[in-house]
Amino acid sequence: MNSKFIKELPHLVSENVISSEVASKIEAYYQSKASPSSNKLFTVFGVLGSLLVGLGIILILAHNWDHFNRMTKTTFAFLPLVIGQVFVAFSILKKKSVAWKESSGTFLFFAIGSSIALVSQIYNIPGNLSTYVLTWIALSLPLIYLLKSNTIAFLNIIFITFYAIEIGYTSYFSMPQTPWMYLVVIAAIMPHYLVLLKKQEAPNITSIFSWLLPLSLTIVIGAFVKDVSELGFLMYVLLFSLFYNIGKIPLLESQKLRRNGYLIFGSLGIVMMLLIMSFDSFWHIEHFFFGAQESVVSVVLLVANIYVLLYSYFKKWLKEFNAFQYVFIFCALLYVFGLNIPVLGTIAINFSVLALGITTIKIGADKFHFGILNYGLLIIAALVTCRFFDTNMSFVIRGLLFVSVGLGFFFTNYVMLKKQKSRVESQNQ
Amino acid sequence: MFIALAIVQIGIPGQMIFKRESVLKTGTAYKFKTQPIDPSDPFKGKYIFLNYDLDSAMANDENWQRHQDVYVSIANDSLGFVKALSVHAYTPESGDFVKAKVRWFSDSNSVLEFSLPFNEFYMEESKAYDAEVAHRNAQRDSIPNNTYALVYVKNGEAVLDNVFINDIPIAKVVEMQ
Repeated sequence: MNSKFIKELPHLVSENVISSEVASKIEAYYQSKASPSSNKLFTVFGVLGSLLVGLGIILILAHNWDHFNRMTKTTFAFLPLVIGQVFVAFSILKKKSVAWKESSGTFLFFAIGSSIALVSQIYNIPGNLSTYVLTWIALSLPLIYLLKSNTIAFLNIIFITFYAIEIGYTSYFSMPQTPWMYLVVIAAIMPHYLVLLKKQEAPNITSIFSWLLPLSLTIVIGAFVKDVSELGFLMYVLLFSLFYNIGKIPLLESQKLRRNGYLIFGSLGIVMMLLIMSFDSFWHIEHFFFGAQESVVSVVLLVANIYVLLYSYFKKWLKEFNAFQYVFIFCALLYVFGLNIPVLGTIAINFSVLALGITTIKIGADKFHFGILNYGLLIIAALVTCRFFDTNMSFVIRGLLFVSVGLGFFFTNYVMLKKQKSRVESQNQ
Repeated sequence: MFIALAIVQIGIPGQMIFKRESVLKTGTAYKFKTQPIDPSDPFKGKYIFLNYDLDSAMANDENWQRHQDVYVSIANDSLGFVKALSVHAYTPESGDFVKAKVRWFSDSNSVLEFSLPFNEFYMEESKAYDAEVAHRNAQRDSIPNNTYALVYVKNGEAVLDNVFINDIPIAKVVEMQ
């Protein structure tokens, strides 16, 4: 786009729109800005190259070159590792560019994995993928800070998520375990992410973290549910609510919506969980224990939610009432007091989904944002659709509900359009 | 800082090697009769999974949980193959033993079934499936089971060295076919 603009400059000068002096200034400005972007491209290709070479080495070594003796194979196991370390040492000592650091770090990351894998292969050290991945992460995690490498941080988040799935959900040789080490590794990566967030120098990279972290947590939190599966729903509501509240912190909210994974994950998650809970059959819960692991995780999430809310309150970030931010308190109370009273739970949750829908419509109307407005209408439409499947409601009432929501879509959008038109006209006058 | 990390990065696989080499050099060799089948690992490559004939023993104690660690005391029988002497919940004080995982305990006949951990033998990728076939072919002769794994044992650490069919290394058997 910039080059197109620069090509236009002589034309603008000849048409006397700008002076030739201004034209040369503009050209100089864009040229000075051009260098970091090409640097970024170097980094991307460097990282991609290292990633492919690293994975390729793992595959080549997995072939198992059995005509070499044990000693030769062991040497080959260490060769990529040492080469990677030399490159990383070189880029640290010579203070090389980001492209160098990211690429050499990525290569070393895969070299670590290949060397442990090959030693396991040579000595027939039996399976257990999760221990292998955990060792790999433990050996590569410090590189995030030594190289200030985002790629290694991404790879670590992806691999620790894989580890958590491996031991938390699927386990061939033993019972599924709770992936506590996942929390430790995520906590170890956090300082790197927080520095990125505060500096706000690389918004694109930071936004990848802001999507990857909630995605990873959403996948993994289910692995913390073991015996008391009823509490799993509450855990997810609390987690999504925490995402929403974190996404409302000005540091994140001030950014573009597409960079705020927390807010989007949180909002969609809350709505989906509540819709599931709005069914009558959901509230026939048998039992739950206060001492269970699930209760502890739920309490921790609850406290984290309250902490973020109170912190936001004292920092005066809570400017207007937003039902999304408080709905978790309501759900937690329902879980404690509303068990085995299906009528209470069902009605309460249905009304809270309705409240969330109306809140969203109000936010959309206030901000003159058609997307948010229609998202609110969609929440209500989804609620009505869910009630369509409940057979104990008369067809006439269900029909009327559908008609009124449909009319609501037309009406609100029409009113908004009119308002916007009059606003634009008044601005033009 | 980085030098310390680099040393640890080399040290962990190095220590893995050192531990196994020590068992291979100074441990006692045992022959475990086995039946191989062929799966694959995304990072380590193709291997044959070894189903050992030694998978159960009489147990006196009754409090066995699934997936619990169990220590199996072993010795060679008259034919030179391994046999289980006894099973323990804690490390035995004397004699060679291997660590295994409890699979099942039957109250009615006091038999404890366990799985031995050294059950993966890594092979060149084209040979793993052929190894399974070679074992099946070898089963057709008059000798009951002539496929065995050579395992070195020292202080409860076991290292799988090689797998043989009729005393010939399995990779060689595959090449000969």
